[in-house]
Amino acid sequence: MKSAILTDLTRCTGCEACVMACREINGLPRTSENHRLNAHTWTAIEHHQGIPIRRHCMQCEQPSCVAACPVGALTKTSEGAVIYDAGRCMGCRYCMIACPFSIPKYEWQARIPRVQKCSFCYDSALKKGHEPACTAACPSGATIYGEREALIKEAQQRIATHPQRYIPTLYGLTEAGGASVLYLSAMPFEKLGFPATIQHKPYPDLTWQELSRIPTMVSAGAAFLFSAWWIINRRIKMANESERSSDQTA
Amino acid sequence: MKIGFSRISFWGCVAAIIWTLGIYATVVRFFYGLGAATHLSDSVPWGLWIGLDILVGVGLAAGGFFITAMVYLFNLKEYQPIVRPAILTSFLGYGLVIITLLFDLGKPYHIWRPIVMWNHHSVMFEVGWCVLLYTLVLFFEFSPMALERLGLKKPLSLMTRSIPFLVMSGVLLSTLHQSSLGSLYLLVPDKMHPLWYSPLLPFLFFSSAVAAGLAMVIFESYLSSRAFGRALEFSLLVRLSRILVPVVLLYGIIRFKDLAGRGVLGAAFSGSQESLLFMAEVLFGLVLPIIVFSIPAWRNQRAGLFLGAVLVLLGFILNRLNVSITALVGSADVEYTPSWMEWAITASMAAAGVAVFRLAVKHLPVFTHQDTQAKQVNPPLLEPGQAGAGVMAGLGGLLFLLLMALLFGLNRKQAAAKSLDGEAKPLSASAVLRLPAAIVFEPDEASPGRVTFHHQTHVDPTRPGCVSCHATTFRIRPIKSGQAGTVKMDSLYAGKQCGICHNGEQAFRADEECENCHSGR
Ligand code: SF4
Ligand code: SF4
Repeated sequence: MKSAILTDLTRCTGCEACVMACREINGLPRTSENHRLNAHTWTAIEHHQGIPIRRHCMQCEQPSCVAACPVGALTKTSEGAVIYDAGRCMGCRYCMIACPFSIPKYEWQARIPRVQKCSFCYDSALKKGHEPACTAACPSGATIYGEREALIKEAQQRIATHPQRYIPTLYGLTEAGGASVLYLSAMPFEKLGFPATIQHKPYPDLTWQELSRIPTMVSAGAAFLFSAWWIINRRIKMANESERSSDQTA
Repeated sequence: MKIGFSRISFWGCVAAIIWTLGIYATVVRFFYGLGAATHLSDSVPWGLWIGLDILVGVGLAAGGFFITAMVYLFNLKEYQPIVRPAILTSFLGYGLVIITLLFDLGKPYHIWRPIVMWNHHSVMFEVGWCVLLYTLVLFFEFSPMALERLGLKKPLSLMTRSIPFLVMSGVLLSTLHQSSLGSLYLLVPDKMHPLWYSPLLPFLFFSSAVAAGLAMVIFESYLSSRAFGRALEFSLLVRLSRILVPVVLLYGIIRFKDLAGRGVLGAAFSGSQESLLFMAEVLFGLVLPIIVFSIPAWRNQRAGLFLGAVLVLLGFILNRLNVSITALVGSADVEYTPSWMEWAITASMAAAGVAVFRLAVKHLPVFTHQDTQAKQVNPPLLEPGQAGAGVMAGLGGLLFLLLMALLFGLNRKQAAAKSLDGEAKPLSASAVLRLPAAIVFEPDEASPGRVTFHHQTHVDPTRPGCVSCHATTFRIRPIKSGQAGTVKMDSLYAGKQCGICHNGEQAFRADEECENCHSGR
């Protein structure tokens, strides 16, 4: 089953219960920063246009961060979570650059730092088929957990029944090629702290186009270089020989 | 080789200062972490070390593969005299790149991980492998210099015989990772400024690296000819500049065609910080060098050739810094000015490069061809009688100052203009928060009166800390469905329910001022 989270921004009261629940279950220190993501805040309530906006990893279907990581420290599980293995990570931080939502954060102050981000409560809940801590904690039902297809249906129904309440975008349906975190809103998302522009196809395609060409490029290049060298070398040899033979005849 | 005592001690002092600072920065970096040593942050995960040491460093070392290919594959034997210095430069360059990488990686002791942990979908993975393999190739290409010196004939002849294959793999590997450094940024079309994001980044990175590599060979042959009193392969360098110019031109044409094709040429003249840095990059890397190289009187004398090469290098450095820093900090809406420790490490690496290069030249047969040629010791910087030479030297200095001013001065954002967008506007309380309606608690017979709870009086609407009560003390769903149970004064007195706060510390005591709550309304 592909799990997902649906966050209806029109229902969110900004109570920060999800932030607290996330801290608790992941053993993160109780710092005061609830309003911006950092290495110790994996979900945050940002405020844009006076509206509370819950942010965390989108758990993309084909994540840019996963494609970026040179050592495969980030993976997308079959349940839908994008998880991080600190034991593999070498700390190049390409994932932070690569994520279109700028989600992964770094433990800058640590001597041996880790990348940190929401993991969809993979170890503590999702793996066992349980609901993540944040949706379980939400008192207003603004953020709910469920099966992705079912949540998409639910969201589309909400848009259809309350067309004046929502903009007709289900964010995360096609954004970044689809994500396991979906949003409904009354306002355009780019005004709410989401990226101003976003691709509607998977990001990894952008680099895969280049990478998949490499075998062909290398073999063609090698063939070209080798034949150029061989031909030039041979001509020199032949020139030398004819010189020598003309020397001898002379 | 005669170098004045005063000159050695001056440069020695400079190096000593740089390395002292560098060692201090190294200690801070490895004992207190990246956050303590650098100005990197969640918004700027890659800074000076990636931009200047890695992207620029790898590009400047591109001369090696190009010159070796010309000599060993295409048999342009006249370039033989600069093959060894070019290989040495590249080898040192890649060595320094790898050492700086150890500083930049969060876990430097995992640098070998991509060798065993594969992700063939990652450009970084590919770059890592290519850099590793190419450094090995360079090591083998470099080894004849050491073997010759040590007089080891057997391995030397083995190396000499395998050179064509080394060179071929060097060309392939270089082509791959020089362009792939550009591909790294293909993943971030939305975060990068359109003046620098382009689907053609791989090609642009490759061609500009070839130009920079050639310029570097000219630059360094010129300098070492002065420093070591060696005959300058001047006609050779002039010929090299004739290869350099078309490469720069090709790069420039593609760059502008691409900008025009994507319709973002207008952004180049918008007057924004990005547009100014873009113009600086184009001015130094394209316009000025082409002017310098296209005037025969300039191109055919040492100072002109040198200036042209320096300009190409400056333009290249600006381009890589723009791609890696300018183009990305804009969308993150942050400032980034490298810390002095970042500069200290970068400077230490550069100084180490120069020092090792000098040592190698002194002790290894790097400049083998000089002995057979006529010696021309310490050529003067400006050939007397050449018009315009002094002017050009002045121009060079001026340009350098301008560049530095651009780099540092412009780095400061117009904070005032920026701070308003993106920031949350102040909340207007009720309209925004949709606080629940008043909750009425009907009195039982012992009660002095009905209590009505208003969220408005209990919540700061600009910072609603709902969790201080909800999901713990007062569960919302049970309250809504009427199964919340009741509020008892005894539990308040015991410091539960409302009594958690109404204890005389956070709010008035629950056992005083009854009518504050029991208003009967
Ligand atoms: S939102 Fe960013 S960090 Fe999360 S899965 Fe997508 S690319 Fe990765
Ligand atoms: S920082 Fe770690 S997780 Fe992120 S891309 Fe680099 S190795 Fe992978």
